[in-house]
Amino acid sequence: MNQAQNPISLSLRRVWALSHNTFLELVRLKVFYFLLLFAFLIIGSSLFTVQFSFQNPLQVLKDVGLGAMSIFSWLLGLLCTANLLPKDMEDRTLYTILAKPVSRFEYLQGKLYGVFLLLGLSVLLMSLLFAGVLAIREQQEIAELARNLSPENLPAAVAEIRAATFQMNLLPGIALILLKAMLCSTLTLLLSTLATSSVFTVLTSVVVYLIGHVQGIAREAWLAGGQASPLLKVLVAGMALAFPDLQLFNVVDEIAVGTALPAQLFWQVAGFGGLYILVYFLLAQLVFSTREL
Amino acid sequence: MAVCTTAILIKDLCKEFPVPFRRETVKAVQNLSLEVPAGEVYGLLGPNGSGKSTTMKIVLGLVRPTSGTTAVFGVDSRRVESRENVGFLPENPYFYKYLTGLETLLFFGKLCGLSGRPLRERSRALLQTVGLEDAADRRLGGYSKGMLQRIGLAQALLGDPKLLVLDEPTAGVDPAGAHAIRDLILQCKQRGITVLLCSHLLGQVQEICDRIGIMDRGELLAEGRIDDLAEKKNQIELVLENATPALLESLGAMSRASGAQVVSQRGARTDLEKFFLDVTRHRS
Repeated sequence: MNQAQNPISLSLRRVWALSHNTFLELVRLKVFYFLLLFAFLIIGSSLFTVQFSFQNPLQVLKDVGLGAMSIFSWLLGLLCTANLLPKDMEDRTLYTILAKPVSRFEYLQGKLYGVFLLLGLSVLLMSLLFAGVLAIREQQEIAELARNLSPENLPAAVAEIRAATFQMNLLPGIALILLKAMLCSTLTLLLSTLATSSVFTVLTSVVVYLIGHVQGIAREAWLAGGQASPLLKVLVAGMALAFPDLQLFNVVDEIAVGTALPAQLFWQVAGFGGLYILVYFLLAQLVFSTREL
Repeated sequence: MAVCTTAILIKDLCKEFPVPFRRETVKAVQNLSLEVPAGEVYGLLGPNGSGKSTTMKIVLGLVRPTSGTTAVFGVDSRRVESRENVGFLPENPYFYKYLTGLETLLFFGKLCGLSGRPLRERSRALLQTVGLEDAADRRLGGYSKGMLQRIGLAQALLGDPKLLVLDEPTAGVDPAGAHAIRDLILQCKQRGITVLLCSHLLGQVQEICDRIGIMDRGELLAEGRIDDLAEKKNQIELVLENATPALLESLGAMSRASGAQVVSQRGARTDLEKFFLDVTRHRS
């Protein structure tokens, strides 16, 4: 081995090797294909089921598509991450890897970045299908308009349809869906460094996911009227710190009706998500660095 | 920079594992001290649960000692740098099933700091050395036990290590495969690579190792050169060919007259492993 190589560059190469390997491992898992297939089925079938709804078809498509992307990307991240560490420990592959000049920090980074790569690919594929479904529906709507409207009124109506189909604010919404999945995966990784069983990790992650979605409502209810005791306030503050408010990432409803996502809000939520990812990862590293193998 | 002539240095090593939900601890290693000079093949022996694997893991930096120190070529085992010159073959190695033999070596080679064409060439050369060049593009999920051991040895040799740590390298492998692995270890020895070997197969240890240490219940009970430890001080083995019964009778009489004693007398036997290999080689 060339000792004169830059240690940072060597470290980055090791992390990349581990990430790439983790990505390959996950992409060859059956659960990846099953979940992606279900997501495709739900997004694809919305094209047919929308005709049975009384709401604006494009809005329904966006609701279903973005909702499916949110659920499936979270589920994929959870199921893929939960078994990464336990499997390597049980198979003793971890020993072979850490017996190389690889630190536990690099190992954990590699695993997490591999999951992020998988999530990025999944969200990209679902987004492409989603865009395809919207494009098909757009053509159907325009064809319907062409049959019913006069030629003078048609261009304006078509422009309105096109504007409603694809809006730039869809992209920040999709980015936040991806970020939420990455945050939940990082949390799952932290839980797996503490747990000895992947079943426990999955169950705990689901509970934290649910807490993350209802904590905003619970906080408002408990603190309403200003009568809360100091102890309750401390407990609520602790809960708010430990569990991220995942409702912040739920911008699907606003996007579906065409509301633009303010840039400041996007960056605040993205920063919030990024900070939690960093904290959870550092905690995972702290636990993993002291764990007996 | 001074060249360190001690490959492994273990000083007063202790390792205790806490027992869950109890205030007790299990002493896996107790006050172990040993030194393996560079270039030596050292066998670490002992019954199951004697602390060999724990000692090995501490040397590799996988487990933290409770007290004491371990160093590899002068570098503390707890530092990542100590593993730059180390190759490790774990017991019953398990690699990623979805990777082919070549992909496995490329992956581990990148972890050793190798890349590009040199890595590819080294991987192919090692696959040839361990006799797996025809299985290079087959996924490890389809490998036999012996093939997994050989790919494990190949990945251990990837970084051109100065120290090889082998935990039961021939466990579960057929005699031909075990023979091939033994020959590889002897080649490493000739190249000056230090080898730390844990094995239950004492016959193999006797053939390969320069020195051995015997552990039990976390303690080092005996250590030294095999010839010195295994020699029966007051006995000589004599193998005769074409000896007549009259000659054997007179040898026995001479022994008794000089105060010596014939302890045992039987027809010389070939090594069962050699016999097995001869038969199977002729058949193939």
